[in-house]
Amino acid sequence: MISLPRGIALVALQEFRMRLRTGRWRVLLGVWLFVLGGFTLLLDLALNNGASAAGANLRGVPLLGILMLFVLACVLIISPTLTSQTINGDRERGTLATLQATRLRPSQIALGKLTAAWSVGLVMLLMTVPFVLYAMARGGLQFVRVAALYGVVALLIGVICAISQAISAMLARSITSALLSYVTVFVLSVGTLIGFALLVAIVQTPRSIDTGSGSYVVYDSRTDLVWPVLAPNPFVVLADSAPRVPPRVTQNGDVIRVEDYDVLSAIGRSIRDLRRPPNAPYTSIETSCTTTDDVTSCGQVGYQVITGDPVWPWGLGFDLLLGVGSVAITIRRLRAPARRLATGVRIA
Amino acid sequence: MQPLGTVLEETTADPAELGVEVHDLWRYFGAVPALSGMNLSAPYGQVTALVGPNGAGKTTLLLILASLLTPDRGQVRVAGLDPTTDPYGVRSRMGWMPDTFGVYDQLTVGEYLKFFADAYGMRRAESVPRVHELLELVRLAEYTRQQVHVLSRGQKQRLALARALVHRPRVLLLDEPASGLDPRSRVELRDVLRGLAAEGVAVLVSSHILTELEEISDRVVFVSRGQTVAEHTTSGLMAQARVAYRVRALDDGPPLLSTLESLKVTPSAVEHNGVVLPELSQLEAADLLAALVRASVKVVSFEPEGSVLESAYLAMTEERR
Repeated sequence: MISLPRGIALVALQEFRMRLRTGRWRVLLGVWLFVLGGFTLLLDLALNNGASAAGANLRGVPLLGILMLFVLACVLIISPTLTSQTINGDRERGTLATLQATRLRPSQIALGKLTAAWSVGLVMLLMTVPFVLYAMARGGLQFVRVAALYGVVALLIGVICAISQAISAMLARSITSALLSYVTVFVLSVGTLIGFALLVAIVQTPRSIDTGSGSYVVYDSRTDLVWPVLAPNPFVVLADSAPRVPPRVTQNGDVIRVEDYDVLSAIGRSIRDLRRPPNAPYTSIETSCTTTDDVTSCGQVGYQVITGDPVWPWGLGFDLLLGVGSVAITIRRLRAPARRLATGVRIA
Repeated sequence: MQPLGTVLEETTADPAELGVEVHDLWRYFGAVPALSGMNLSAPYGQVTALVGPNGAGKTTLLLILASLLTPDRGQVRVAGLDPTTDPYGVRSRMGWMPDTFGVYDQLTVGEYLKFFADAYGMRRAESVPRVHELLELVRLAEYTRQQVHVLSRGQKQRLALARALVHRPRVLLLDEPASGLDPRSRVELRDVLRGLAAEGVAVLVSSHILTELEEISDRVVFVSRGQTVAEHTTSGLMAQARVAYRVRALDDGPPLLSTLESLKVTPSAVEHNGVVLPELSQLEAADLLAALVRASVKVVSFEPEGSVLESAYLAMTEERR
């Protein structure tokens, strides 16, 4: 029997070789570099222009944050094309059955094809390195933060590739599966927002407020109950998983302002706030009291910004489960001898 | 041509000698039966032809034998193994060439075969010479470094045959292998298949080109509507078949028509390129030819009209229409 890694490598190399020879890779990668370069340049100019919350030595932080959100949006668009036709496309071309009739196992075919597609996605991600290095040179970034961002985007590319591959294995026509793959990406990135907004409006709990002379009822939005709908959103996962940059806290009289200059931290913080129950305090004022000569005097020593618990482990966990489940579906659909053929599937 | 009996000829072959053995095989697609109790055997060292109209279940049968489709009911043995319970055992002993197939257009011819050799788990020391040998066999050696998409349809067909043979299978399943082949390639295909049978491979081939099968096959299995209608040895079929003959003679000898008349043979047609005789068995045809020669008719050709297999096939489909 062919060992699992050997089989995967065999299929992946073969797929990779075909992809390299079919596509106009040089043109596509050239366009990608141009888009990345143009975006980074314009973004850098925009951030330097006017009042930015970031200090001059921290410019890299917002630059990298927005750049990574842009890169994520791009790879979400590109990833489905890498796999949404790999299985049913091979069926249509009549090359899948001959592969299934060899001693390669369904898991080797599925994982090999996925590895090849994912690698292409990772190559595209790696091409952002020069621009990220530029952002790091602008200051304020630690290596850990950059590595975490890359890790999450890399995993999300794999998840989208796996889901699209499963759709391709389930549907007979490659055009339908391509369309459905995009619908899936849309549901994850926009559908979760719409679902969340609707659920926030629906799930509310009444609270009675006593004014002494009477009482009235207010309705609290229970985002602490509906936040899971938002969790799988790739942008939420990316933003919330990025190591937090401390916000700038300023006080003007009684008004305490908490201001994020990093867009990822801002998204992450507002997402985590959703997990807090209604009317939980947002900031707490720390006081310290000392007693001298029987007189106790208390003074403010600082502020603490209270946020909810992290959202990204749930979101990323859910997305990874989707990916693993998709691989399992693909393997099932590649199993031969097959008991039943989906309508319209030509096996040969 | 008399209708063929639906009674099967006894297969005397020892089950251990059978590359393919199918007994009472059923397969439904929804409510439609594609196979309804098919029986078939293909011995090692012989070429077995699978003949039947479109929709008779030939491709479904071959898919089941190729371990890609599970049957609903019945026994199947390919190289002695059950494709449902031991698909990988079957795959390492069986080669399959589907009727419609694709090739990886961007690979070179050599890479294509090497990939399949690897996919069958062959070692490099074994696969590299095997690829070379096969490309010589199917006359594609000069294209080794060319990409597959430059090949013609017939050349792709030959490449697919080489692919099916890459792991030296003991059982070879071919679905319409001759379609798209030029006459020379067909002759070569015939030689390749005869050569494989001589090496002891069990070859099962479905085709619509019946004259072709007549020359290639040792045995013929007629199928229709998912059932085996008749199973014959090709030589037995030839001996018992009655077909029309066309005879042509030179004018400067005794006239052909009057000689036939004196022999009490009534031609069914007289055409510019010969006289069509009624259906005769092989023995009757031989006797008649001898009589014509004895009567000094200058016979230049005396040949069966169409092929025996074709006549048998037409009679079978006529009967079941």
